[in-house]
Amino acid sequence: MEFGQSFSFAALGSQFLVGLSRAMILFVVCAGLSFVLGVLRVPNVAHGALYMIGAFSAYSISTQIGGNAGFWLALILAPLVVALVSLIAERVLFCHLYQREHLMLLLFTFALSLILGDLVKLVWGATYRSIMAPAFLRGSFPIFGSAFPRYNLFLLFIGPLVAVGLWFFVNKTKMGKISRAAAVDREMVGALGINVSWVFAAAFVIGCCLAGLGGALVAPTISITLGMDHNIIIEAFLIVTIGGLGNIWGALVGSLLFGVTQSLGVLFWPQFAIVFPYATVVIVLLLRPRGLLKSVW
Amino acid sequence: MKKTFVFTILILAVLVSLVACGPKKAERPIKVGIVDTYSGPPAVYGNDALNGFKLALEEINKEGVLGTTIEFTTRDEQFKPDVGLSMAKELVLNEQVDVLAGTINSATALAISEYAKEEKVPFIVWISKSEKITGEQGHRYVFSTGENTYMAGKAGASALAQQPYTKYWIAGDDYEYGHAIGDSVQRNLKALKPEVEIIGESWWKVGEPDLVPYLTAIMAAKPDAVIFCTGGASMTNALKAIKATGMSEQVPIWIHTATDHAVLKPLGAEAPEGVMGTMDYHFYYPDTAENKAFVEAFEKAYGSPPGFPAFHGYVTAHLIAEAFKKAGALDREKFIDALEGLKVKSPAGGEIEMRACDHQLVLPMYLGVTKKVPEYDFLISSDIVTLTGDEVMPTCDEIKAARGE
Repeated sequence: MEFGQSFSFAALGSQFLVGLSRAMILFVVCAGLSFVLGVLRVPNVAHGALYMIGAFSAYSISTQIGGNAGFWLALILAPLVVALVSLIAERVLFCHLYQREHLMLLLFTFALSLILGDLVKLVWGATYRSIMAPAFLRGSFPIFGSAFPRYNLFLLFIGPLVAVGLWFFVNKTKMGKISRAAAVDREMVGALGINVSWVFAAAFVIGCCLAGLGGALVAPTISITLGMDHNIIIEAFLIVTIGGLGNIWGALVGSLLFGVTQSLGVLFWPQFAIVFPYATVVIVLLLRPRGLLKSVW
Repeated sequence: MKKTFVFTILILAVLVSLVACGPKKAERPIKVGIVDTYSGPPAVYGNDALNGFKLALEEINKEGVLGTTIEFTTRDEQFKPDVGLSMAKELVLNEQVDVLAGTINSATALAISEYAKEEKVPFIVWISKSEKITGEQGHRYVFSTGENTYMAGKAGASALAQQPYTKYWIAGDDYEYGHAIGDSVQRNLKALKPEVEIIGESWWKVGEPDLVPYLTAIMAAKPDAVIFCTGGASMTNALKAIKATGMSEQVPIWIHTATDHAVLKPLGAEAPEGVMGTMDYHFYYPDTAENKAFVEAFEKAYGSPPGFPAFHGYVTAHLIAEAFKKAGALDREKFIDALEGLKVKSPAGGEIEMRACDHQLVLPMYLGVTKKVPEYDFLISSDIVTLTGDEVMPTCDEIKAARGE
């Protein structure tokens, strides 16, 4: 088959939008991962497992309550469930380990991801789960002459909302400023008489909360299943790396790049579309080894 | 001193009696070793097959086989071929099983099949869908009670060939099963209708969560029809993306097992209508008294209706029992001779035959279209057309050619 499929600009436009909407979910997850990386210096491999817990919780909440309200409540409550899990993990385990080297933390969070994965299996079992988006977000509408799922449009609204919320938190609240400072120089923050331990706990919980939100957001579009954590965590680490470790805006740039190159790759060269986002990662890292934006590491 | 003497005598007596007990128990139970995936997402299918097998054993063991009963041992291969193979070896060497059965993973099935050939142990595959198992890599010791990619592809192709479509797009999971289905349907379709043209292909990595970009790109290319080659969790993702983009309203779609209730049930009303699918068993079809009785017994025992793996597991148990009865002895070679061409009652009604030339169970294919019905809160297969096993299976000559005989 020839390289270039015949395509119209309309197809290109709609494909670009689809890629953007996919990038929004990646951004929500990666922003959390990057935040934790920046403030706590923890490469949290268990972030993917927390995302999975978010999706499974969203399933339980929305099926328990049912209807449209079920979905909206799931969107709010599922991240809180994840927040609770991560708070316990932080207070019981992580807070003793911050001083360890990165390799130790990597191994530890990997172990935690396996434990959480098994926990999900114990609670929800191994079967596929599926939830529905609220009625008005189901189906598609034509955009540039091709079908565009309504739910993806919703994601295009939610993504910027989360970005603005994060910006506000990091730049305008005291908590955010402290955590930003702690990311730069944690000894100094401690020396100023701030309880760094609780700042870290809060930062960790907020980061994990975003994983939960990502899980809840993705839940209606996929089958909720064991193993969904492995897929996301690899992509998330790649995105965070090309964006600049610990930089939330880097996560945004990385997600957009990843999502859009993937969806456009699918249009241009469908049999080899898998390669596109990863090739992008390689090119970015060759040109800018420390990521596109400033890394805090 | 005397005490020690008495003690030694006692020990000896116990040992002698133990040894003496051995040969007396000549009527040992028949042992079936099952290797399948019982953890992770594929466990749904593994457990379903096992439940079907257990249900049949309950009936079989009531009257017994060769004056004894059939027992089984299970091993979890964790969907890993190397683990599966070592477990099969362990079952043969330590547990000394008479027959091996399982598994959902085609790579595991092929690995165990190779081992079964070396060790001359009969191995019955009940879920794996690779056509290689009873096709080019088939041999005397391997059997399959499940439908395979050849049968699925031919069934799909014969349905599609009757339609006026010529420009096709093939899309699916980038692994063995996806490509096997894709190749099979493409090959059969071109044989039936030479003017068919594949205008494009897209392959995504297994477990790719968001398939919407793939679907929108396919729709932009405007094919006459789309052939999806997905299974497992990807199937749900594909159906969700089809529903979200409204694809099934715009383009005809065929997906093998899209009409499986194990896929459609979790999706509820969210599954797309009008998707063509193929299956070899439905708990609601064929609508026979036998099938109703089977479904009722299964639901009573396990709380949910049987899926296609349960159907295969159930048939497998009966084939093993009948073959040993016919062989008249606990002998592996006689068992295989007896199993070749053996016919047993199908739980769906009628008889079902283990074809002698390739050791493939002759299964029909049910072509249907997903549809909402008032009886169920999930979509079912409707307007079912039945293709008999002879219509969809490779001929014995084709098998010979594939095996290079």
